Amino acid sequence: MQAHIISLLVEDHPGVLTRMSGMFTMRGINITSLTVSPCEKKGLSRMTVAIDGSESELEKVRKQLSNLIEVVKIVDLKEDKAVIRDLCLMKVHVKDSNARSEVMQLAEAYRAKIANATLDSIIVELTEEPKTIDRFVDLMKHFGVKQLFRTGVTAIGMDTGGGLER
Amino acid sequence: MTRGKLKGAEIVVEELKNEGVEVAFGIPGGVLLDLYDVLYKDEAIRHILMRHEQCAAHAADGYARVSGRPGVCIATSGPGATNLVTGLANANMDSSPVVALTGQVPTAAIGSNAFQEASTFTITMPITKHNFLVTRTEDLPKVIHNAFYIANTGRKGVVLVDLPKDVLATKVDVDLHPKETFTGYKPKIKPNPVQIKKTVEVLANAERPLILAGGGVISANATEELRHLAEFLGAPVVTTLMGKGAIPENHPFSLGMAGMHGRIYANRAIGECDALLAVGTRFSDRLTGWQLDQFAPEATLIHVDIDAAEINKNLQVDIPLVGDAKLALQDIIKWLEKKKTTSPGSVWVQRIREMHSACEECIGDVRREGASISDMLIKEINGILDDDVIVTTEVGQCQMFAAHYYITKKPRTFISSGGLGAMGFGFPAAIGAKVAAPDRKVVDIAGDGSFLMTCHDLATCVENDIQVVVCIFDNRYLGMVRQWQELFFDKKYSHTGLGITPDFVKLAEAFGCYGERVEKPEDLKDALHNAFESGKPAVIDMIVGKEDKVLPMIPPGGGITRMIGAERCKPI
Repeated sequence: MQAHIISLLVEDHPGVLTRMSGMFTMRGINITSLTVSPCEKKGLSRMTVAIDGSESELEKVRKQLSNLIEVVKIVDLKEDKAVIRDLCLMKVHVKDSNARSEVMQLAEAYRAKIANATLDSIIVELTEEPKTIDRFVDLMKHFGVKQLFRTGVTAIGMDTGGGLER
Repeated sequence: MTRGKLKGAEIVVEELKNEGVEVAFGIPGGVLLDLYDVLYKDEAIRHILMRHEQCAAHAADGYARVSGRPGVCIATSGPGATNLVTGLANANMDSSPVVALTGQVPTAAIGSNAFQEASTFTITMPITKHNFLVTRTEDLPKVIHNAFYIANTGRKGVVLVDLPKDVLATKVDVDLHPKETFTGYKPKIKPNPVQIKKTVEVLANAERPLILAGGGVISANATEELRHLAEFLGAPVVTTLMGKGAIPENHPFSLGMAGMHGRIYANRAIGECDALLAVGTRFSDRLTGWQLDQFAPEATLIHVDIDAAEINKNLQVDIPLVGDAKLALQDIIKWLEKKKTTSPGSVWVQRIREMHSACEECIGDVRREGASISDMLIKEINGILDDDVIVTTEVGQCQMFAAHYYITKKPRTFISSGGLGAMGFGFPAAIGAKVAAPDRKVVDIAGDGSFLMTCHDLATCVENDIQVVVCIFDNRYLGMVRQWQELFFDKKYSHTGLGITPDFVKLAEAFGCYGERVEKPEDLKDALHNAFESGKPAVIDMIVGKEDKVLPMIPPGGGITRMIGAERCKPI
């Protein structure tokens, strides 16, 4: 089992998300994260899908995806050749001023932003690689994580690929 | 081309005509009134009113398989559309080009649980190649054009177009007959020359080459190429269920259908070959058996398929060749002829001929020792039906009797539910077949259980003068499941007995059809003659042994060369 990130350009049609996710369900593959957003070209959307699976499963997924009529392009993004980001919003409990300053120091070390603060909690915002966020979240658990929101990964290839040009 | 303001329903019909549609199988409904109003006025499209939407879909499927052109079915919103589902799933599994048009509640009412509302778009997504929910009348020309384009290109399949009532009723100014398609849809047709060369290399050096033909060979109209290659290469041809008819089964190089209920020598050839050229097949579990290591263990596997997603899906192969079967076979022949001279005298060819004649002798010997009544009947049918007759089958024992024993001689004359195994398929598919080929005889090889699932469409046959003949293997059991209960579940016939009703002859007569009962296999010939002579749709109720079994077979968990019940085959 291995984490894979697939970047897709799809037609911006109603139902395309259902069709995509339905394909994964149908083939018995679990999506670990999925993001959908507009892209550089009108009428198309970009989807970033993270899945866990073997190389051969990934190959099957790629082929099944390319059979979907509304999928325009598929890129399998390798970890070392892509900029991969996840955004995390987290409400951390701070029981006293000590805790508050510790949370703020750690946030600074991770280059996380303080998005809001109240007397007993701080909302921190961090955009990073998923693994870094995992580590930061683990640290914050020490203080008490009241709520955690993550957008799921989005990724862009470092080479010229990944866009419409290829 | 502009035609001034047109109603959505008129646009749909104009586009259907532009796609060459001559016939549609359907049932109207509230949200389709506008569409049916146009069909009433415009006689270019023959509409056949079915008695159940499942039959409309199967009929469109049968029509497509026989004609090679997309079949069209129409159903209303809600229950009409949900009734279509089995038929569409069936056609899609077997890569049969079908375009389904469904009515939908008005766009403003979608999602409100309106009367006869069902989310047809989401329900049918996993069982179609593609589907559309049209929300603007202006989109209709492009959608209908693409529906046909997608259904009938690449790996063929089902496309459904969901049409809300207001989309059909609204009048717009629109250009008809657009050409634009989807940027992401480019079926790969031309095979890669590098892969062709690798294939030719393997085939030219093989001592025991074998060709496995699937439905893709028929779908691509590549049967002539296949036969030529087999003869040139000295390679026997085995087929899948869907590939039946890819080579005339009386050809000395034909070993018939392989697989779970295949012929023993077809399966043995798979076990013995040293190169296997599989064309237009997806290596379904009904072909390979359950022990994949016993499937062609000594062979270099070459897989030709138009759908790249089928490569290495069910079976790991050595040489993948993605592309159209006809083009691939043409290329292979072209290069092979430069490389190799024909070798019809080899030991392997000798063995093929022996295997072929052993099967032929077995099948020709109607009253062979150990033959059941079912065996005898299907063997009798071989002597009665001429080469042009189109045979459809229901699903179960009757289907496997037909697949095993019926000698198919031409492509598109053996129509069966392969992937989905949908009981009730054969009879409505026969209706579609007869409509596609009105000058030819059409026979449905049926079981009593299967036929009862869709027999109400006898009314459609009578009202539209569609003469199909249904031959029922009547054992008053859900025979295939009963067979498994007998062999593997201690003869505990749990809910497979069908009792004594109905009287199929009276049932036929009640619908205004011809009915006759056959108690002895030798009486079948006269009964079939009477049925065709009656000029009416007909039902022949063939009483068979209640516990007749389809053998040989690969038992559950078994591999392709280990069949049970093979002692009845002629040893060589």
